[in-house]
Amino acid sequence: MKETLLLTKHMRSNPEDSHLIEVYEKSNGYKTAKKVLLQESPEKVLEEIKDSNIRGRGGAGFPTGIKWGFLAEDEERYLVINADESEPGTFKDRILLERDPHQLIEGIIITCFAANIKNAFIYIRGEYAKPARRVQNAVEQAYQKGYLGKKIFGSDIDLDVVVHLGAGAYICGEETALLNSLEGRRGEPRLKPPYFPAVKGLYMKPTLVNNVETISSVPWIVENTGKEYNKLGVEGSTGTRIFSLSGHINTPGNYEIEMGSSFGEFVETLGNGVRNGKDVKAYIPGGASAPWFRGDQLDIKMTIDDVANNNSMLGSGAVVIMDEETNLVSAAKSIVSFFAHESCGQCTPCREGTTWLEMILERVASGRGRTSDIDLLLDVCDNISPGLSWPPKMTTICPLGPSAVSPITSLMNDFRDEVESLIPTKILL
Amino acid sequence: MNENVKINVNGTEIQSAPNKLLIEACEDSGIHIPRFCWHKRLDPVGMCRMCLVEIETPRGKMLVPSCTTNITDDMVVDTESDVVKKAQEGVLEFLLINHPLDCPVCDKAGECPLQDQTMSYGPGESRFVEEKRHFEKPIPISEIILLDRERCILCARCTRFSDEISGDPLIEFIQRGNKTEVNTFPNEPFKSYFSGNTVQICPVGALTSTSYRFKARPWDLKSVRSTCSGCPVGCSIELNSSQNKMLRILGVDNDNVNQGWMCDKGRYNFEYLNSDLRLTSPLKKINGEFQKTTIKDIYSDLDEILKNNNNVKFLLGTNITNEEYVSFNEFAKKLTDEEPSFYINDDLLYEGFFEDDIQLAKINDLNEADTVVVWSEDLKENLPVLYLRVRQAVKNGAKLIVFGHSNSTLLDIADYFYTDDVISKNFEIGDSLPMLEGVEKFINDKNVTAIIGKSTPFQADESIKKLVSYLQKYSNLKILNAFSTGNVYGAFHTLSSIKNLSDFSEEVNSDNTDVLFVVGADPIGKSIYSNQIKKNIKDIDNVVCLDLFIHETSELGNYIIPTSSTLGEKEGTFTNIEFRTSRIDKLVPSPGQALSDWEFISGLSNFMKLDNNIDSLEELNIKAYEGLAQQTKPIFDNLDKPSNLDGILNNFEVNISTSENSGTNCDYFVGKKLYGDNVTIRYSHSISLLGAKQFIEANNSTISKLNLNSTKCLLSQDEVEVPVDFIENEKLSDGIIFIPINRRNLNKFDFSKKISITPNHSKAALNVN
Amino acid sequence: MSWEDSLLKQAREIIDMYPQKRSAVGPLLHLAQSKDGYISDDSISVISKLVGITEVQLKSVSTFYSMYKQEPTGKYLLSVCKSISCEINKSDEIIDVVKDFTGLNNNETDKNGLFTFEAVECIGACGGAPAMQVNYETVEGLSPNNTLKLCEWLKKELPEVVVAEEMQEDFGGYKSFDWAISDQSGTTGSVPGFQTLKTTKERN
Repeated sequence: MKETLLLTKHMRSNPEDSHLIEVYEKSNGYKTAKKVLLQESPEKVLEEIKDSNIRGRGGAGFPTGIKWGFLAEDEERYLVINADESEPGTFKDRILLERDPHQLIEGIIITCFAANIKNAFIYIRGEYAKPARRVQNAVEQAYQKGYLGKKIFGSDIDLDVVVHLGAGAYICGEETALLNSLEGRRGEPRLKPPYFPAVKGLYMKPTLVNNVETISSVPWIVENTGKEYNKLGVEGSTGTRIFSLSGHINTPGNYEIEMGSSFGEFVETLGNGVRNGKDVKAYIPGGASAPWFRGDQLDIKMTIDDVANNNSMLGSGAVVIMDEETNLVSAAKSIVSFFAHESCGQCTPCREGTTWLEMILERVASGRGRTSDIDLLLDVCDNISPGLSWPPKMTTICPLGPSAVSPITSLMNDFRDEVESLIPTKILL
Repeated sequence: MNENVKINVNGTEIQSAPNKLLIEACEDSGIHIPRFCWHKRLDPVGMCRMCLVEIETPRGKMLVPSCTTNITDDMVVDTESDVVKKAQEGVLEFLLINHPLDCPVCDKAGECPLQDQTMSYGPGESRFVEEKRHFEKPIPISEIILLDRERCILCARCTRFSDEISGDPLIEFIQRGNKTEVNTFPNEPFKSYFSGNTVQICPVGALTSTSYRFKARPWDLKSVRSTCSGCPVGCSIELNSSQNKMLRILGVDNDNVNQGWMCDKGRYNFEYLNSDLRLTSPLKKINGEFQKTTIKDIYSDLDEILKNNNNVKFLLGTNITNEEYVSFNEFAKKLTDEEPSFYINDDLLYEGFFEDDIQLAKINDLNEADTVVVWSEDLKENLPVLYLRVRQAVKNGAKLIVFGHSNSTLLDIADYFYTDDVISKNFEIGDSLPMLEGVEKFINDKNVTAIIGKSTPFQADESIKKLVSYLQKYSNLKILNAFSTGNVYGAFHTLSSIKNLSDFSEEVNSDNTDVLFVVGADPIGKSIYSNQIKKNIKDIDNVVCLDLFIHETSELGNYIIPTSSTLGEKEGTFTNIEFRTSRIDKLVPSPGQALSDWEFISGLSNFMKLDNNIDSLEELNIKAYEGLAQQTKPIFDNLDKPSNLDGILNNFEVNISTSENSGTNCDYFVGKKLYGDNVTIRYSHSISLLGAKQFIEANNSTISKLNLNSTKCLLSQDEVEVPVDFIENEKLSDGIIFIPINRRNLNKFDFSKKISITPNHSKAALNVN
Repeated sequence: MSWEDSLLKQAREIIDMYPQKRSAVGPLLHLAQSKDGYISDDSISVISKLVGITEVQLKSVSTFYSMYKQEPTGKYLLSVCKSISCEINKSDEIIDVVKDFTGLNNNETDKNGLFTFEAVECIGACGGAPAMQVNYETVEGLSPNNTLKLCEWLKKELPEVVVAEEMQEDFGGYKSFDWAISDQSGTTGSVPGFQTLKTTKERN
């Protein structure tokens, strides 16, 4: 198994200075944007994106071309780049921001041209200070060169880009919460309906919200055609994808691969196997929100559909390996705590439920559990995500609540004895 | 016409008007869906999740909040499925895990949506063994509101009300997730004129009022529906009492008028009813001292006096029912052959716009208007709920044009706000009206609803007419005359002739008046003509006061008759700003020998054998509406029909004949604040201090021109001296100094003459011109 | 208003970057954080006037986000990650070292105003777990021993500019990915070092 470098090619070829505009231009950077703006039509660009069948890289995997097609007509429309990468296990946007910011800017220019947008925002999570500095430098360089601002590349097109720093709220990765945050409000998800960003987004105007990796893929797709991109990977999961591999693995890191190989192959080759030669007890296939797979499920293919068919999700492409010695109750508690901490607090089941789950798990993990706690955990989960099915149903406004349910159902379905073993069987009087 | 939408709920087909939310459509058809955050008058937020129901979708059944889901044709809904029941139980359990078990000491218990819905939909037992979330038990968030964050279920009703409806977002969610709480900013209390509404709509006992706290249990309350007579908006209200003591007032959702809301003055200005200082026995002044007497004794004295004196005048307040106005009218007619003279206790009363060529507006016309024009007294201070309705109209898309300087509280939401370049310091309007830039597109050929009244007592009538004729010429105009005292609209159609306090101060004196009746009026305490009126009344030989309290005016009476309040102590009718007549009802007994104004006049008439047929309330009620078609007559029988609980609209003939005010050249802008220093507020302990502060307002540049380096200063003129605070109000134009005349002694100046403003501790007087 | 003119000027420049004033709330709160090391009520008053919302509305926003601190922070904000990849790579040991060294519990600041400690959720350094940030500058591949050395170094050297690369070279280990580009820029307080905020400086 080998990497296929589209997005990470420039940074690999020019490791020391890939962030500089001169270097990016030497690798043919901005040529595509320039050509598109001066010679091509927005429809043509949209066509290429649709042909590529690329699906959003933020986690939900919605087809990008269709998303762009939904954008409502209006004089005032916005593009917002979601660089609020916060899903535990995920660090792939970080490398794109840090090491190839111009590729993202070029993607923004082409996207705004295709969607007739004059204002774009890059919303970067506040903890990504260094990546934000790199992007800000790159934006300033692009302005100096006339690639952003008025009449870019000598065309009639104006485009302004603002780099906006978040301030520590995972929920702002949810697109409508992100828009609230960008408007200077609490990062609480909006109701859908009626607030679909493509119709009522930033300032209630039609807005495209796309992930860093998605928009960074745009220059390659437009340069090489959507059809070429569509040839990479497998049907339903075309192109390459940067997977963030972490956990008990010999060589954690970001790996750009075509989708379609198995998780086992990925772990063995690019990950160079489990640390200290141990076995995998469980792994997370797509970020902390995703239900876990067991160590005996490593043959599942790394495609959006294969993972979904096995009742989990490829999500943000974050693979976390947990070896045979991992305390899975603690691991689950860590994830539940994460979601409890990041719950915005708007809706009752998420605000109260995630914290309650955290409290019960804490009790169980520290050996103070009760036998009834297993049923209680599952029933509280059921009150957040009725039926505990996949994809999750929810009593909540957004999927954050059900995300806290994933590790618990995984634990209960596949590792119930591990939980039971922590619960004292005798009642001490 | 939009067709009705058919939806299927729990296997039964129901019809609903389109564009409705599922929860509303179900409610209208008698299917109750439990809820906490959803409130008919607030934007839905879908936060509490209690109203989840299942609808059928192409991808199978889906749980959706019925408060954010619009109905569509042939929608199939299940509000009682096992999944729905489980979800509701779950939500309730989540809400209860951190809710304290202090129902036994909670004011809300017994009328608590959380308690009620827990009974109907809750899990029955608690599985939560951890420690509950703790906050400091109730913290005061204003002088009149307390907040218990442990009880709060974070439904955001209060925060949405203050943001969306009243426009003073001073309470908000603080922190996030499980730590979220509602709170105010340090040192910035929830100082809203509408804060009591948040207590009323709070679905738990998190928000409570100092006024009602620990006073009663809901199941012990007696209640009656009535009308607030605090201002001419005439909000529909519910009065609550326990053990014959008035304890609480709630807003009733009258779609035409107040839509459930009230101002805090209307809500809390009732505690005076139980004041120890209430008059409970008739008083007669003997050798300059009041002595207790009997009603009969007073009747006999008055019989004697009235037989021998022809010059009788009436100064009437506006907390008087229509029936009582009629009783005075009938009484007066029998005393002389001349047209009786009724003076209404209102500085701003003028003839208004009631001519035949004027289309009078209803309050709900604000919602239909393309453009709302306001030039009147400060609505927020004087007609608070009308202010809310203007805000609502703007939220619904109406353009708002405001003429200065009084309605500065509308500045933030006005599309055009005309001040010093169009309106002079003396509230005169320039001749350039039709040329006002940009405004014509909102006026010409548009449906305009204008709220028109005097901004200040010194404004020339002519000035207002100029604006009205401009609007009338270019737009389809409807006018809402903005008078702001109590049941003044009732007086308009029941009394044969009406004059104002300016007329009173000029016309009524001992030369032409032998007997003066002063009914529920304290002009000396609140009118800008105070000094002149005091001088005149002092010299009149026979002054008969009917009042609740002794105050600056009634203390000059020769007789004082203790009277009942329009708040729950008597029955009658009230006519509001749009000539909607509704019921005033009785809930508690009057103290001591207090009696209604009409009872006193009726008894006196009988004693004097005037034979004027005003022996019963019913007779007066029927008399008040003679000449109207039977079905629109707001007589008790009609008003008590369920379909007429919101009142009955009528076109009445109006009898105002004030003398024209040609304007006074005045350096100050004078007006009333919501809370004044009058007797009823002073004796209502919860709000007694809210009208106490004496201050003046100006913007920063005006303040610096006065060279005052202190926030305290002294106003002085001749022997009147009032120390005041200087409050910065950037919404005022340069050079405008606002003086609230309903604060103690601030009405005692002669505003047409110079008033000195000096820093409080300095002797160097600065004269202001 | 008690912000200096230069800061107010910077605030107005930030407001001008956005189509609507209120959007500047986020960066302006970072600015307030860089001024005082936390969001003071005074800053809330200043910003709320600048963007035209009430103070409590702004307080509501500022308390929603974990990076806007409600209490004064120390010169160095030590944020140790405890999310899943770090958790299973023994972030608890790193947390213990920092707690021991500083004597602080979660979200506490020492008397001298030198350190603030917090255990935080995912900082996007999962490949280099366990990891932490000092004033939002990331150090990856920590060992308990190196964490102690990092703390000691901070206390002894009191660097004015905190730079990720410097700390990573001296105290870090395995990284999420090759940082490749040499970069001496860093931050000057308990706020992200970022050009718009004027909170970033190059190390000498």
